[in-house]
Amino acid sequence: MIEIIIDGKKIEVEKGTTILEAAKKLDIIIPAVCNREVVKAYGACRLCIVDVNDGNEIKMVTSCNYLINKEIEVFTQSDRVRKTRKMLLEMMLSRWPNVPMIKQFAADYGVTKPRMVHPLVDYSENACILCGLCVNACSEMVWEDIIGFAGRGENRRVVMPFEKHYEACIGCSTCANICPTGAIYMTDIPNKPADEKRIDKFGMKITEEMTLLDDQQCRMREVGTAHLTEIMNDYDLLPTTNYRFGSHKEAGKLHSDFFKSKFTQGLPDGCWLGCTMSCAKSIDNYELKSGPYKGQKVLVDGPEYETVAGCGANLGIFNPEFVIEANFYCDTYGIDTISYATGLAFVMECFENGILDKEKTGDLELIFGNEEAAMEILHQMGRGDGFGIIVGQGIRRMKKIFAEKYDLTDEQIQFMQDIGMEAKGLEYSEYVTKESLAMQGGYGLALKGAQHDEAWLIFMDMVNNQIPTFADKAEALHYFPMFRTWFGLMGLCKLPWNDVEPADNAETDEPAKVPGHVEGYVNFFSAMTGKEIDKFELIRQSERVYNFQRVFNFRLGYGNRKSDRIPYRSAGPVTIEEYESRAERYDKQLIEKWNYDIEGKTSKEKRDYLRKMREADYQKLCDAVYKRRGWDDNGIPTIEKMKELGMDLPEVVKVLKRA
Amino acid sequence: MNKIQSGDLNNIREKRVHEIKKFKAALMVCAGTGCVSAGSFKLKDLLEKELKERNLDNEYMVVPTGCNGFCAQGPIMVIQPDGIFYQKVKPEDIPEIINKLIQGKYVEKLLYKDIETGNYIPKMENIKFFGKQQLIALRNKGIINPENIEDAIARGAYNSLVKALKMKQQDIIDEVKGSGIRGRGGGGFPTGVKWEIAFKTSQEKNVIPYIICNADEGDPGAFMDRSIVEADPHTVIEGMLIGAKAIGASKGFVYIRKEYPLALERLEIAISQAKEMGLLGKNILGSDFNFDIKIHRGAGAFVCGEETALISSIQGKAGEPHQKPPVPAISGLRGKPTIINNVETWANIPVILDKGAGWFADIGSGDVSDSPWNGSSGTKVFSLVGNIEHTGLVEVPMGITLREIIYDIGGGIPDSRKFKAVQTGGPSGGCLPASHLDLSVDFDSLTKAGSMMGSGGMIVMDDKTCMVDVAKYFISFLKDESCGKCTPCREGLIALYQILDRITKGEGKDGDIELMEELSQTMSLASLCALGQTAANPVLSTIKYFRDEYEAHIKDKKCPAGVCKELISYSVNENCTGCTVCAKKCPVNAISGKVKEKHIIDPELCIKCGICYEVCKFDAIEIK
Repeated sequence: MIEIIIDGKKIEVEKGTTILEAAKKLDIIIPAVCNREVVKAYGACRLCIVDVNDGNEIKMVTSCNYLINKEIEVFTQSDRVRKTRKMLLEMMLSRWPNVPMIKQFAADYGVTKPRMVHPLVDYSENACILCGLCVNACSEMVWEDIIGFAGRGENRRVVMPFEKHYEACIGCSTCANICPTGAIYMTDIPNKPADEKRIDKFGMKITEEMTLLDDQQCRMREVGTAHLTEIMNDYDLLPTTNYRFGSHKEAGKLHSDFFKSKFTQGLPDGCWLGCTMSCAKSIDNYELKSGPYKGQKVLVDGPEYETVAGCGANLGIFNPEFVIEANFYCDTYGIDTISYATGLAFVMECFENGILDKEKTGDLELIFGNEEAAMEILHQMGRGDGFGIIVGQGIRRMKKIFAEKYDLTDEQIQFMQDIGMEAKGLEYSEYVTKESLAMQGGYGLALKGAQHDEAWLIFMDMVNNQIPTFADKAEALHYFPMFRTWFGLMGLCKLPWNDVEPADNAETDEPAKVPGHVEGYVNFFSAMTGKEIDKFELIRQSERVYNFQRVFNFRLGYGNRKSDRIPYRSAGPVTIEEYESRAERYDKQLIEKWNYDIEGKTSKEKRDYLRKMREADYQKLCDAVYKRRGWDDNGIPTIEKMKELGMDLPEVVKVLKRA
Repeated sequence: MNKIQSGDLNNIREKRVHEIKKFKAALMVCAGTGCVSAGSFKLKDLLEKELKERNLDNEYMVVPTGCNGFCAQGPIMVIQPDGIFYQKVKPEDIPEIINKLIQGKYVEKLLYKDIETGNYIPKMENIKFFGKQQLIALRNKGIINPENIEDAIARGAYNSLVKALKMKQQDIIDEVKGSGIRGRGGGGFPTGVKWEIAFKTSQEKNVIPYIICNADEGDPGAFMDRSIVEADPHTVIEGMLIGAKAIGASKGFVYIRKEYPLALERLEIAISQAKEMGLLGKNILGSDFNFDIKIHRGAGAFVCGEETALISSIQGKAGEPHQKPPVPAISGLRGKPTIINNVETWANIPVILDKGAGWFADIGSGDVSDSPWNGSSGTKVFSLVGNIEHTGLVEVPMGITLREIIYDIGGGIPDSRKFKAVQTGGPSGGCLPASHLDLSVDFDSLTKAGSMMGSGGMIVMDDKTCMVDVAKYFISFLKDESCGKCTPCREGLIALYQILDRITKGEGKDGDIELMEELSQTMSLASLCALGQTAANPVLSTIKYFRDEYEAHIKDKKCPAGVCKELISYSVNENCTGCTVCAKKCPVNAISGKVKEKHIIDPELCIKCGICYEVCKFDAIEIK
């Protein structure tokens, strides 16, 4: 800490604090036009000049970008400072005589009529005063460079490239919102929102949070989701070798630092331009080592977390270069990286357990860690030949094909059911759910299959133990899927909801829900449509659709308790090896949760008992969730529920009557 | 070409010297931009053709060289080893030049004629313009073919690099520090100190620093850097190599303006020749030192000569200055410690290493043995332009007086006019009056007098120059070249220009001078970068030394120098012989009169173009 004096008042500040910040703490107001907390000090308007005595000399500096690094005395109102500020304001006023902000500052310094006649005088109240806030906000807050300064000296102006409309601008409105004079404003808003200003306010809040908080929170702009790999590994949640384990000693090789060093574009790659989070990343000039484009340098869009965890750890391949290559070819062939990875992990475990062999795989030794074979399978899937044709059909069909085609024992067929990580035919995404019952529900009870985009409850449930009872879990498995369905209804991305959170989120009553943002979405809907809703109506909007979808599934023969089943691998240790690798944890649970006497019991006995208990728990969870969602025992929406939601359409009622 | 080792330099040198010795003489044709535009390339081709036709091409060689400095007299040719100096050589002179050459004589009419004595002076060394100069940065001008690396090596190029490769990094820095050399780009910051900051910072932060050569010379009337690059690009490359070795850089940039096509071409050739020889690239001269240079072309913005703006420009951003600190030596290109030195500074470095810090420190003014800030050591290159007899490029020891440069070297003011002022330091320098002619030319004296060293532009003005008009010219230039980022520079210059423009049109009013002083003070106190901080110098220095001229414009509505059109009138005096030339040449038929009778100018029609004044042979046109 350094003690400084500003206008005779003492204050202690941290090294590197600006004078402007220090003065603010003392309630000393220094005029500034081009300075805002959310953008870096630009030092253009020069109004914030102050005199600084650093012991050697008194010099004039701009307080916005003078970093305090020793004891100094600051004079914000010396004669020289006042006189200089006055002259600066006279200069500005001569050019922009009617801009309220300039007029006010000038009046404060006694300037009402400038002595100079300005050749470029602009009488508009909304004149651009060249403060640069818009340009810097676009660059620093949005990480885009849609607008910039063109021209020098008196020709300086804010423009889009070549002074033409730049298609890349999607109108995030950050520049308009930060403009202090109204020189930039939005026109021709395609969605014709009912209350434009209210939406701007909501958007600006997220943008400001991104700018100020993301670097300390999830670093989405910097590394995207790739940073999850190390976090998941630390919490034993990173799927390795087909979800058998949650961490691996070699996982460090897949650290986000490596990918960050590979992300070459140094710019955000938003799914839609103007997204201030822009978590997508890409790698330029990656030289392919295999396949039809071998030797060529390509742009790889990614990788993000699921790809790293799936194509890396879950295949036992701890080589980030393989991940990048697989990422490229999955994208090129139009194959989902999760389905490829989870499907192949299943194949590898089958191979290692004798269900498959080289004869069946076309001479490919599909064991964990075999990069070459794993890549060849991907190319086969792309080409549509060899064993790749079978792998490409996904786990659910593979289980059927293997059982029918090969001479397998009942144990082997059951083993495939246990380790084939799919639900409703969709491959699991890359989180180990064994220790989080709620998350097992998150996967198993999701309408589309084993995806975490309806509910991601691992931390709430397992790490923070915030939802201990079945009722708590059911509430979470009601609220979050409904809330997140709403993003789908609105065409919004989920990530800005909780991958950046307001600074005071932890102090709210329901931090997991991010109340500050829920309020924002409510506002957003109301401002967009002109129809005032509240946060309960928001959930009900989703419920209508969600229940309708469930009925639709039911009509097609799914959408019931049976179709909500999950492979046991996602609920607990399938093999003895798995049990023993985390024996302490499981033993403890057997004793504490189920009062099971483990004395003298073999690992197999313990594993079997644990399985019985955990499978029963999952069914109890289903009971609780169905109840909370207003469904019957078989997981089918009741007619009453549909009535309550106003979704008792004749066709719906007809289908439900069959239940 | 094979990559060479340290020891090979000597062989190349001896071989080249031997090759040159085989010729009876070398015809060094100046191929600097000035002489090229006067036709020296054609001259060179014709010389070669003539020699070939006469089967003399094995006896005499033609060498295109960089700028000789005596630009007003171009095209220039020097015959070595005798040093016979020809000026204003025309293609039709070639046969005679060769005839005389064979006879061991010279063509008298092409020799330089001394202004005072009227005598022809055959040898370059005896011409005063060259006599008082001391060449360090320009040591190879006119002597080597800048497009032939072997010529440069024959003159000792890259010897200092060999020396540097054997030295410890800190020792190189100490040598540069000890020489007292201060930045030749205008700032005058001690070069060695800058290097030391960059070196230490990169060691502390464990990062690789960068080297930049600033060749973005944008001052009107300045061509020092261009000429150095054109005449001896290898000294710049060698300087950068030594700097890189000293601070541990592996990559360097030359930021050179695109308007310098010849310099750019020669630099490209020099870099590629150096690369081929292994003087740039990996394992330089067989050592473990790697360094490469990339050329970055500037688009001609004056402000990009400011180091932080230059760095922005290299990074692909708008050429706008940034607040210092941090200085580039701490955080520069891509946030890494970066030393930016001007072309001339780099050109001095090999000589400092070769001859030693003490040798360099002894040249110039002040005693820099304790601190570089105590004086100005070494030499400085100036481009001497304006109303001066010998327009051109000169390199003189620091501490020389303005009078020596202007009169002894520059030959004084032409057309028997009187000296009025000299403007030093580029557009944002100041104008110094005759009373300052005995001022020592060094960093601190010039600044103290209200001007500055700048990068070395020196514009001499005679008594037909209006100082208000001069101030307006420079302010107009700066107004257009200000990046426009910060308020005081952008708006201050617009305001100053408006006021000056009014004054030169006879619309000046009481308080204008004071308002300009107020504006200037705000600009120098509050501007972000050195451009804005010094931009008011032309106004402040002219007010300081020529206030009466401002007052004549404002109060009496008169331009004493007869320059400001709105304030002057043309009339015909008694000298008129009625020759009718003025009437015939007047573009608007404002002059009337019968043959052999005194003519009259109609002030209503006269557009004050000055043609009548120019064409009258009898001094009969008067400007009031």
